[in-house]
Amino acid sequence: MALFLDPVSGLLSLQRELERAFENPSGLDLGVSGRGVFPLVNIFSEPDGYIVRLEIPGVSPEDLHIETQGRTLTIKGNRERRGPEGAGFHRRERDSGEFSRSLQLPDSLDLMRGEASYKNGILTIRVPKREEAKPRQITVKVT
Amino acid sequence: MAEKELIPKGKQELEGEEQTRPGRTYMPDVDICETADSLWLWADMPGVDEKAVEVNLAEGVLSIAGAVSLKEYENLAPVYTEYNIGNYLRRFTVSEDIDVDNIKARMTNGVLELELPKSARAKLRRINIATS
Repeated sequence: MALFLDPVSGLLSLQRELERAFENPSGLDLGVSGRGVFPLVNIFSEPDGYIVRLEIPGVSPEDLHIETQGRTLTIKGNRERRGPEGAGFHRRERDSGEFSRSLQLPDSLDLMRGEASYKNGILTIRVPKREEAKPRQITVKVT
Repeated sequence: MAEKELIPKGKQELEGEEQTRPGRTYMPDVDICETADSLWLWADMPGVDEKAVEVNLAEGVLSIAGAVSLKEYENLAPVYTEYNIGNYLRRFTVSEDIDVDNIKARMTNGVLELELPKSARAKLRRINIATS
């Protein structure tokens, strides 16, 4: 069910798809840091692997650390609050501080070949499937 | 002590007003603070590029808006989700006198940082109160 997003109602379609996956999780067990730990995660599949996406606005890339060990992917970092000295806060709705989240991903993924990018506050980690896990044709030899 | 406050309108998910395109709109979380010279605001709008941000101050209402890009979601199938995405919009009533021409806006890593300098009249008024 790959998403095709048309410019007019694309956003609404995407929101509905995301909500559907929220209500019917595919049975993916992420391990100890289950649901609802900061930062929240969305996981998508594409033909060659998975894409793990997290919304972590306002972090310097130097403050983001991504580690893999076996099947576990860990995202750690620090969100610092910036502000002028001697200011009184009217509102503080944004969280700040250290965070760490570990996700257990399926065995079919090759975490060692994962690649991460950070843009506009969204961390995207692309993890390809292991070669053995990819569908392969076996040609039939006629003897 | 004179109090100048930004008062938010609306709830977490923006309801009761329609945008021209269908889809849920969200209100970004904000930090707001005040110094003697300016009001500062930071809004979390992950997924919004600096070119997709709009900031407006007119008739005492500050509105901040950001549009997310859908390109990064094409041809992907959601497997597991914990958050939804959408465009951002939030409005505040600003009772302070702001020097509109000198508002500074910066968008970095999905965070909008706004500096709203107080107008000379607002700063002068404050000094008068302190010495009387």
